[in-house]
Amino acid sequence: MKRLTSLPTLRVDVGRPVPFVYKNQTGRGFKGDTIATALYAAGVRIFSRSLKYHRPRGLFSLDGESSNTMMTVNGVPNVRTETTLLAEGAMIRDQNAIFTARNDLLGFMDRLDRFMPAGFYYETMHKPASLWPVAAKMVRKAAGLGRIAPDFRFSGACDEMYPAADLCVIGGGPAGMEAALAAADQGLRVILLEARPWLGGSFDYRERGSGEDAPLYRQAADLASRVSTRAAIRVFTRTAMVGGYSDNLVTAVTEGGPDDPFDYRYLEMRPRAVVVATGSRERPLIFENNERPGVMLPDCALRLARTYGILAGREAVFSVGHDLGLEAALDLSELGLPVRAVADVRTKGHDPALVRGLADRRIPFYPGWAAAAVEGKKGVKSVRLASCDGGQYRILTCDLLAAAAGHTPAVEPLSLFCGPLAYDGQTGYFLPRTYPAGVFAAGRIYGLEAPQNIRISGRVAGLDAAAFCGADCRGAADAHRNELAALPMGRPASKWVAFPGPWRKHFVDFDEDVTGKHIRQAVGRGFGVPELIKRFTAAGTGPGQGGISGHNLPLLVAAIKNPSRDRTDIHGTVPAPTTVRPPLRPVFLAAYAGSGREMVKRTPVHDAQAWEGAVFRRVGVWHRARYFSADLDVSEEVDNVRTNVGMLDASTLGCFRIFGPDALSALQRVYAGDMSKIKDGRVKYAAMCNHDGCVIDDGVVIRIGENDYMFTTSTGRAGETVEWIRYHTRFDNWDFHLVNQTDGTGVINLAGPRARDVLERVTDADVSNQAFSFGCWKDFSLSGGIPVRCLRLGFVGELSFELNIPASYMQAAWDMLRKAGSGFGLRPFGVEAQNILRLEKGHVILGQESEQRTNLLDLNMGFLFSRDKDIRPVGADALLQAEKDAGRLTLVGIRMTDSSCVPPDGSILVDDQVVDPVIGYVGTIRKSRALDAVVGMALVERAWTAEGTRLAVYDGGGEPSERHDATVVRMPFYDPEGIRMRM
Amino acid sequence: MFGAKHILPKGNPPLESAYDAVLIGGGLHNLATAWFLAKEHNMNRVAVLEKNYIGYGGAGRNTAIVRANQRTQKNIPLYKEALDLWPVLTRELDFNLMFYNCGNLNLLHSEAAVKAARTNIATAKFLGVESHLLDAAETAKRVPALNLSQKITHPIHGAMYHPPGGIVRHDAVVWGLAKGAAEKGVHIHQQTEALGIATKNGRVTGVKTPAGTIYTPRVLVSAGGYTAGLLYHMLKIKMPISVLTIQAMVTQPLKPLLDHVVSSGAYHVYANQTLKGEIATGAHMDPWPNYTTQTTAGYIKHQAEALVELMPCLAGVKFMRSWAGLADMTPDMAPIMDGNDPVEGVYMNCGWGYFGFKSCSATGRYMARFLATGKCPDRLKPFALARFKNHRLMGETAALVNYTPDN
Amino acid sequence: MSLLIHCPICGRRNGYEFRYGGEDKGAYPAGRSLTPEAWYEYVHANTCSAGVVAEWWCHRHGCGLWFTIFRDTRTNRQVLEHGGRS
Repeated sequence: MKRLTSLPTLRVDVGRPVPFVYKNQTGRGFKGDTIATALYAAGVRIFSRSLKYHRPRGLFSLDGESSNTMMTVNGVPNVRTETTLLAEGAMIRDQNAIFTARNDLLGFMDRLDRFMPAGFYYETMHKPASLWPVAAKMVRKAAGLGRIAPDFRFSGACDEMYPAADLCVIGGGPAGMEAALAAADQGLRVILLEARPWLGGSFDYRERGSGEDAPLYRQAADLASRVSTRAAIRVFTRTAMVGGYSDNLVTAVTEGGPDDPFDYRYLEMRPRAVVVATGSRERPLIFENNERPGVMLPDCALRLARTYGILAGREAVFSVGHDLGLEAALDLSELGLPVRAVADVRTKGHDPALVRGLADRRIPFYPGWAAAAVEGKKGVKSVRLASCDGGQYRILTCDLLAAAAGHTPAVEPLSLFCGPLAYDGQTGYFLPRTYPAGVFAAGRIYGLEAPQNIRISGRVAGLDAAAFCGADCRGAADAHRNELAALPMGRPASKWVAFPGPWRKHFVDFDEDVTGKHIRQAVGRGFGVPELIKRFTAAGTGPGQGGISGHNLPLLVAAIKNPSRDRTDIHGTVPAPTTVRPPLRPVFLAAYAGSGREMVKRTPVHDAQAWEGAVFRRVGVWHRARYFSADLDVSEEVDNVRTNVGMLDASTLGCFRIFGPDALSALQRVYAGDMSKIKDGRVKYAAMCNHDGCVIDDGVVIRIGENDYMFTTSTGRAGETVEWIRYHTRFDNWDFHLVNQTDGTGVINLAGPRARDVLERVTDADVSNQAFSFGCWKDFSLSGGIPVRCLRLGFVGELSFELNIPASYMQAAWDMLRKAGSGFGLRPFGVEAQNILRLEKGHVILGQESEQRTNLLDLNMGFLFSRDKDIRPVGADALLQAEKDAGRLTLVGIRMTDSSCVPPDGSILVDDQVVDPVIGYVGTIRKSRALDAVVGMALVERAWTAEGTRLAVYDGGGEPSERHDATVVRMPFYDPEGIRMRM
Repeated sequence: MFGAKHILPKGNPPLESAYDAVLIGGGLHNLATAWFLAKEHNMNRVAVLEKNYIGYGGAGRNTAIVRANQRTQKNIPLYKEALDLWPVLTRELDFNLMFYNCGNLNLLHSEAAVKAARTNIATAKFLGVESHLLDAAETAKRVPALNLSQKITHPIHGAMYHPPGGIVRHDAVVWGLAKGAAEKGVHIHQQTEALGIATKNGRVTGVKTPAGTIYTPRVLVSAGGYTAGLLYHMLKIKMPISVLTIQAMVTQPLKPLLDHVVSSGAYHVYANQTLKGEIATGAHMDPWPNYTTQTTAGYIKHQAEALVELMPCLAGVKFMRSWAGLADMTPDMAPIMDGNDPVEGVYMNCGWGYFGFKSCSATGRYMARFLATGKCPDRLKPFALARFKNHRLMGETAALVNYTPDN
Repeated sequence: MSLLIHCPICGRRNGYEFRYGGEDKGAYPAGRSLTPEAWYEYVHANTCSAGVVAEWWCHRHGCGLWFTIFRDTRTNRQVLEHGGRS
C-alpha cells in the first residue's frame, strides 16, 4: 500500500524502511510504525482469532484496549502489536488458531454460541461425574491465547529507576504539558509521563480545532518544545503509568528505544502531587458484528492516516456520537478516503462547522442514526444504518466502518488514586467521587473538548498542584479557573447504548467473547451488578481488562434492568463500573523484576574456603560453607575434629555489644537467665524466649567491663536482635547503647584435641588449660598483633577456641592458623560436620530440634530460666504457667535399634494404640562414627519420654506399616561427662 | 439444557423477625454451614446476613487452590474431608465446581525444607493422604519451566508432591452453595449489615440489623477477615488475630504451561494455571494490619522477581491484573472454631489466614453440626480459642513466623 | 495501597523501611505474675479495629527507633490523632 507521505503530522520516516517477517514472508514497515500499522499497511486485516468463538479479529484501536492484535513476536506470546514499536527483523506469528488467523479450522466455534450461554460451564460437563476430568483437559487446551516455550529465555535488558519530583504529570497531551509548564513556573520539579513515543496527545494528529488559529498539531509541537527544554521538567516518553497507590505512589514502565541501554525500565516515584491528564478514548458502539475486521474506532482510522500515512479502507461509513467522530470523517474524506455516509446518534448539539463541512463535501449525514449491523465474514462488506427510533434503515456497501458511541474518559489512572467511580449525568462519564489530597486532573478526562478549554484546565491543575506543594499561586489558579468557567462548555458526547434486540453477536467484550445476550442472561440469573457479571461472564477479565467493556457494561445493565426507559436516558439507574486494578496495561514480568539483584552476604573468609573446595549454602542472608568433601558424607571432616583439629568459619553468628548504666537491666529483660551472676572472665550460656516462653534464640553473654557486655546470637536472629531488645524495653526509659557488630566481626572456631597445639604456634599468650580453662574467655593477640577475643566453648564437644577477630584481619588469621596447623592435621570443616558433632553432644540447634511452639522447658533447658530475678524476663509468665502442663512435646535422645538404619530428618514417631497416633517428630538423626550408632533428637509427647521407651519411626517413604525401631536414651551421647571439651 | 432459573436469588427474601440460626457473613464458610444445616440437620429457618454481596470477600479473592498436606494430625483430616467433598458437592448442588485435580508441588530449597516436607509427607501418608517427596530431576520433569540452576538465590532441591490437590473454581462454590441453600429455604440477605448481637444473661437473643432485631438462639460469626473486628465491636471478645492484606495476580492467558499448582516457601510464591490459561500467583504479604483490600507496588514487583528466577520463561509473560483480599492470621497459622464461650449461643469460625477456601466445605459441615447440636464435634475441639491462653499452639508451622511483634 | 510513615527522627519515609509492632497495649502489666487470661489479653488479644488505631512501629531500616503512631486501618494512612490526617 502506498502511504500518504506529505502530511505534516506524519510520525513514520518513510525514508527508513524496517524489514520484518510475518508467517515466513518478509515485509517492510517504516521507522516509527507499530507492528500492527506495518502489518496493516502490508494488507493484513485479520490479526487474530478470538478466545472462545474463534472469530476473526482486526485492528480496532491503536491504544491496546483489547486482545485483537495480540500476536507472537520473536517467541514472545500475546504481544500487543498495536502499541509495540516495529523493530528490525521482528518475527511475527498468529496465535490461537489452527492453521492461520485468516483460515482458522476452529472458526466453526462461532456457530456454536447457543450452546455456550453465560456461565455455561457451571451447569454442564459435570454429569456424569466422569465427564468433567476429560472436559477440563479439553477446556484447558482450548483456552489461553499465546504459547510460551518452557525453555524460552527473555533476551532484553531491564533496569529500574526511582526518580524524585514534586509533581508527576500523567499524560503528555496539551493539558498535561500545560500543567507541567505551569507547575515548573512555580518552581516545582516535574516528571511528565507519556505512553506514546511523542508528546502531543489528541492534538498531535489533528489539523483543525474549531475557532483555533494555529493547527492543533502545531500547538502540540510548540508545547512539546517548551516542555522538553525546561530543565525542571523531566519528560519520559514511551512510559506508561501502570500503578497508582495511596499517598501518590506512582509506578510506570518505559519501553526502551534503539538508543536506550535498556529494553524495559521500571519506574517508581512518590511525588508530592499528581496531575492526571490522560484524556479520553472512544466508547465502542454496540451493534451486530461490531468487532468484524474492518470495523474500527474513528480515531484509529484518523491516526492511521495522519500519523502513519495509511488510508484504512477503500470506502468508509462512519457511525459516531461525538464531534471528534465527525471531524475524523471530514478530515479523512479530505485526505482521499471516500466516505459514503456519516451517522450520528445525536439529533442535536453537533458542531455546526463540521456539519457544514460534510455538506460541502456532499457526504450524506444522518443525525439520530447509528450502525445496527455489518455483513461480511472475514471483513466488512456492508453496513446497516438505522434511525435510533428503529423506524428506518439503509444498507450501504463499504469495507471500513468507523464506529464509536462517543467518548469514554481514560479514567483508569485517576481511579487508582481516587477509588470507586460513579456515573456523572452531565458528561455521561464515570468519574471519581472524591479526590485524595494532592491528586488533580485536567483536560478531556473531564469531558472538555474545545482546545482552549483543555489547555486552560491543564494550567489550573498545574497551579493547584503547585499551591498544594506550597507555592504561592492560589490566586493565579483561581483566575484560570474563572477563565475556564466563563468559556462555553463542550457539547457532551452521546449516552447511546444499543438498539433493542437479543444482542446475540453484539460484543460487549472482545477478549472473552462476551455479548449483550450474555449480559442479559447474567442479569436474568440474579447477577445484578457489574462486579458479579464480570465474574459470571468473564467480561473485562481478558488482556484488555475492561478497556472495551468498562464503560458499556454498566450502561447495558441499566438498560436491561429498566427496559421501559428511553435508551438515551438511563441517568440515575446506572450502577458503578467494575474496580480498576493495576497494572493499567499488561507488563512483562521481566520489566517488573527489573535488575534482579540478589542480596546475599559473604563472610570475610568466603574466598579462602572456596579455594579449599567449600560447597556453600544459603543460611538466612549469608552464604556458609557447608562441606569440603565431594558429597554430603562428611565423615572425614567429623573424624578429623574428633581426632586432630578442625576450623569452622562461624562469622555469621550475631555479635553484639551493649553498654551503659542500664545495659544489665536490658539483658535481664530479654534473657531468661540471671545475667547479674556473670563472673568476670567467664562465659554464660543464655536463651531468649518470646512472651509464649518459646525459645527464639540462644547464645553466650560475657561481661567485658563496667556496665559493658558482649553477647552472641544465632545466625538467623542477628538481624532482629536490636529491635527485639529495644521493643521489650520501650517503656523503661533505660539508658544503654546497643551495637550490632556482626558484620565487623569474624569468628573462627578452632576445635579438636590438637587445637591448643595449633593456637600456641600463633600466639604468645598462655592458653594452657590452667591459665585458660573451659567456660572462660580472654583477649590476646595472634602473631603480628591481630587482636582476638577468645571464648572456650564446647558446641562440638572437643577442646575448642572460638576466636572473635575483626573482619579485616580474618583472612590473615585464617591463613596463619592454616599454616600453623599443617603439622597437626588441621583442616576446615563445614556446618554439616558441625551438625553431626553437636548432635553427638546433644546440643540443640533452634529450628532444627525445636518448633515454633517449643518452649525452653520442652528442650530441657529449664536451667537457663531464673524464676526470681528482679526484672521479670520476657516469657516468664508463660513458662511458669506451662510447667504444670504435662501434655507438651519434650526433647529426648533416641537411638535406632538397627545401627545400619538412618531415617531421614523430619521422620515422625507413631503409636497406633492412641487416639492421636503421631506422637513425635525427629529433629536431626545421624550415623555417628564416634559412637558406632545411629542417634538423634526428637520431640515426643510426655508419656513416651522415659529412658528405654520403645519408639516406632515412620519416614514417609514406604507404606505406613513400614516402621523402624528406636529407643529413648540419655543425652549427651558422646563424652557424657564432658571431659574432652575441658581438656 | 440450561435452566433459566436463578442462581442467585433476585432481591432479598423477606427478613423475618426470628430464625433458628443467624449466620453473619455471606462467604464460603457460612454458605457451606447454611447448606449443611438445611441438608443434614433439617434446620432451614436460617438467615445468612451479608453486608455487601455474597462472595465479596475472601471467597472471590483467593487463588482457588485446594490441598490436604498440612502438618499436624489435627489439621490434615479436616482438609482431607474438604478435598473429598468437592465432587460430592458438585453432584448434590448440581453445579459444576470445576475441581481440577492437577496435584500440588511444593518446592523445597534447602535441607531444612526437605526435612519439614518429610514430616508433612509422613504424617499425611500415615493418615491416608497421598504425598511424595520428589528429587530435583523428578520435579523438573513435572514442571519443565523450572530453573534447576544452582546459581539462583534458592536452588531447587526437590518437591513435596501431593496428587489429590488441585484447584476449584471459587465463584462456582459461592454460587452453588447459595443456590443449594436457598433452594432448601435458607434466607440469604445481601446488602444487609449485622450491626450488633443482643445478649441477655450471657446468652444470645438476637442480631441487630438496619431493619430491626432478628431474634435467634444461635449466631455464627464467620465473616472472613472481618470476623475478629466484629467479635470485638459486638461482644468485646478480643481475638489473637492480625488482619493482613494478601494479594494475587494473573498473567495474560497462555496455552498449557503449568500442569500442577507450584508453590515455594523460600520465594514466597505460588503459581497455578487456571482453566482459562492465566498463571495465577501470589503469596507474599505486607506485614501490617489493614482492611483496604488494595494492592501494593512492592508486591507485584516481588512476585515478578521471584517467578522470573524460579521459572525464567515467565519473564516473557505479562501480568494483567492484580487484586487483594484479607487474611486473618493467628499466631500458630491454624484457625479458631469455637462456640458457647464466653456467650452461650455465639459461635465463631475465623483465623483461617489464607487457608479459608480449601477448608470451607468440611468446616461448614462441622460448624453446622456444632450449631445444630450445641456440642463441639471432636474434630473441631483442637481449634478452640482457649489454646492460646494455655500456651498450646497448634504446631502447624515448624519455623518461627514473623508477622507478629512477638517473634 | 502504599504506606508512608512519619518517623519522629527521620521524617516521611516509605513504609517498607518500618516494622509493625502491634497495637499499643501499654507496658507489660507490672506485678509478679499474670493469670493466663490477663497474659492472653496482653500478648495475643487484638481489637482488630477497622478505623484509627494506636500502634507501635520501628524504623528498622533507618534510625532503629520504636515509636507510636495513629493509623487508619481502612485506608492504611497515618493520621495525626483520632480524627485528623497527618
